[in-house]
This record gives sequence, C-alpha cells and structure tokens, in this order.
Amino acid sequence: MVRVTTHVLEAHVLTDSDWIGAAEICQMCRLELAAVLELGDLGLLSPRETPSGWQVPATALPRLRLIGRLMRDLGVNVSGAALAVELLEAQRALERRIRDLEALAADH
Amino acid sequence: MEYRDYYKILGVERSATAEQVKTAYRRLARKFHPDVSKEKDAEARFKEVQEAYEVLKDSEKRAAYDQLGSEWKSGQQFRPPPDWGSGFEFSGGGARPGRRQRAYRGGGAGAGEFSQEDFSDFFSSLFGGETPFAQAGGGARAGRDHHARVDISLEQAYHGTTRTLELRRPQVKSDGSVALETHTVRVSIPAGVTEGQLIRLAGQGEPAAGGGAAGDLYLEAHILPHALYQLDGRDVTLTFPVAPWEAARGASLTMPTLGGAVEMQVRAGSQSGQKLRLRGRGLPGSPPGDQYVQLKVVLPPANTAEAKAVYEEMRAKLNFDPRADLAR
Repeated sequence: MVRVTTHVLEAHVLTDSDWIGAAEICQMCRLELAAVLELGDLGLLSPRETPSGWQVPATALPRLRLIGRLMRDLGVNVSGAALAVELLEAQRALERRIRDLEALAADH
Repeated sequence: MEYRDYYKILGVERSATAEQVKTAYRRLARKFHPDVSKEKDAEARFKEVQEAYEVLKDSEKRAAYDQLGSEWKSGQQFRPPPDWGSGFEFSGGGARPGRRQRAYRGGGAGAGEFSQEDFSDFFSSLFGGETPFAQAGGGARAGRDHHARVDISLEQAYHGTTRTLELRRPQVKSDGSVALETHTVRVSIPAGVTEGQLIRLAGQGEPAAGGGAAGDLYLEAHILPHALYQLDGRDVTLTFPVAPWEAARGASLTMPTLGGAVEMQVRAGSQSGQKLRLRGRGLPGSPPGDQYVQLKVVLPPANTAEAKAVYEEMRAKLNFDPRADLAR
C-alpha cells in the first residue's frame, strides 16, 4: 500500500446557513424524492423556496439521514420513520434529564 | 482472512427458506440497529447481520456461498477457490478470466445500496468489485460520496481539533489493475461542532470512474460522553455540589466551565436541583450555548461528636419542619 500524506484540509462544517436542495438530500440521506416530499408534508422539514427549487438548512440532515437508515434497514415507511425519530429524540431528552436527576441522588 | 458462517450469524439452518432468512434478518436488524439498539457492540453486530443477509437473500450469491461447503467454521483461515464464480450466469458484468486481482473495497457498483467499506474482507473476496458477482459499472460516472464517523471529546468540540483519518480507496493504475491505497488526510475541525453535525470535505469521497467528478467525504461528528458535563445541543449541564451553608446563605463560588473556571453567585435560599444559567458558556456558535449548573446540596456526615453536636444545635434552634406541608 502506498501512503500519501496530504496537507491539513479545511473542513466545512454544515450549519443552518448552508442550504441543501432536494436532489442533494436524496443522495446524502439515501431517500427517494417522494419520501422527502412526504416528510415535508408531515412537517419535519422547514424548507424555503428559491428560484432553483426548495431547500432545507443543513442542520436538518442528521435527522433525515437517521430517517433514511430506519427506512432502509428496518423497512419502516415514511410516517413510521418520522414518528420513530420524534420518539427517539424525546427518549434522548428524557435520558439526559434522568442522568441529571441521578447525579443529584448519587452518593457524594 | 477469516471464514464467516452467514447461516450461524442469522441463526438459521442451511436449509432455511428465503422467508425464514428474511424473518431472521428482520428480527436481528431490529435488535441490533445502532440507532435504536441498546445492545453492546450493536454496530458491529448489525453490520455482520446485514452482510450475511446480503449474501443469503440473493439466490445466486447464496448458491455460490453454499458451494464453499458446510465444513467451514467461523474464524477459520480462508481463501476463495481458484475457479470462484464460474458456472454462474450474471446479469451484470462478466467474469474476467485470467485476472488475478486483489479484492478491494470502495468504488464500483457492487451489492445493494450500502457502502462497500462496510463489507468484511471475506465478503469482498467472494462478492466484491473485482469478482464476477459485481455488477458492471460502465462509462463515466461521478464518484459517490463517502460517509465516515468521527468521535471527538467535548473539549475538542469546544476548542476545535485536528484529526488524522485513514481512507482506503481503490486506485486504478495505468495498466488497468486496481490497488487499494491508504490515503492519509488531516482535517481541521473548527470549534463549536455539535452532536451529529456533518462536515464536508469536497472531493475526498470516491474517485470518479472515467472522467466524472469525485464524490465528497462527509464526516458525522459524534461527541463522546463526558464525566462532568452533559451535552444538549450546544448547552452543557454540570451538577455542582454545595455545602448547606453555601446554599442557605448564598456564596460566591468558583466553578468549572469548558473555557476555564469562573466565579458564580449562588443565591441565598438555594435548594438541591435548582439550575443556574451561565450564558454563553456552552459550545461556541451563533448563538453560543449556555452552561446550566444544577446545585446539589450535600450534607456533612454526622460522624464525629462535634458534628453531631452541631446538628443537634440546628435541630434545637432552627425550628425547622421539612414535612410541614406533607401532613395536610
């Protein structure tokens, strides 16, 4: 194997100032366009309209990728995946709260 | 490389029907899917299960795999037989007789939708891009994006960090052969990255086939749990022990934050569980997150005569009934 070291690359962190179009979402999240549109209808996306089509902020991507994985790997449909994602996020928030409370109760 | 017993991985008999294979896969996928599973090693187990299903669900691949024979045991040293894949008809690319290629990962159409990087060497040697089982690529094609995960500590998320990644990619040589190259990339991750955030490295994904644009590399940032701080978006929470007199009478206390120690005023009459907010002391960003401090009043132990006497004095002089409301 040949090792090639490159210079330090500047990473571009995708923030909510980065807008992602429908085609790119489909590719990055491995979702069909129909699914992405349905997620928009379900209120999971807050797209903006531009002359080149609609876009969502890049901060929506982790959630959309999760939906893509659930649909592909577990055979869930769009509304199931949307529900699952909301429940998972609520579960994480509850787990954080539990950890806080347990920290209060723990032996010092 | 090591042999993998796909039937054992899915927990089915070699005589299992396609339906049985599918049911077994679905049950295990649900059990080990990393996004929903609490099992340890969920991600590794899930990849194993997915790979096994990838082979056993496809009648061609399953038949070829079965041809290896049932004598093999998981973990045994293994090489594909020299005439591997012959005798099968393929819908896609044809066998290229006489080409002894080292199996590679990445690039190529290959099986299913998930990234070639997920496959084991065992799978790649049998069904990967350079075996007769890979579908024909054909023509100029843009390189696919690659996704990788990068784990960083909370401190690294706060300050920013540089990370070295090793990427393995196939490189097509001038003689048409393919070699796996390890490409070392150093990435500067800026301060303020949050959980799950994506970082794009343009052109670092799959190289293009025949003139298309190279794909991008996306890193998904994961912030490791921290002993002191709990992270929620950009906000952090810290549980901060205080003495009873500090909570009751108030105090100016030194408290840790990600950016260094700060003085904080605990108000008189504070109780356990109350949260104070230090604005802007969470992860940087626009706007930056906050640090929440959850007070935890800790009682000194009554383990000496003196301590007991102090507590007795408190009882006698403070006239305090914590259960006054309970009796109602």
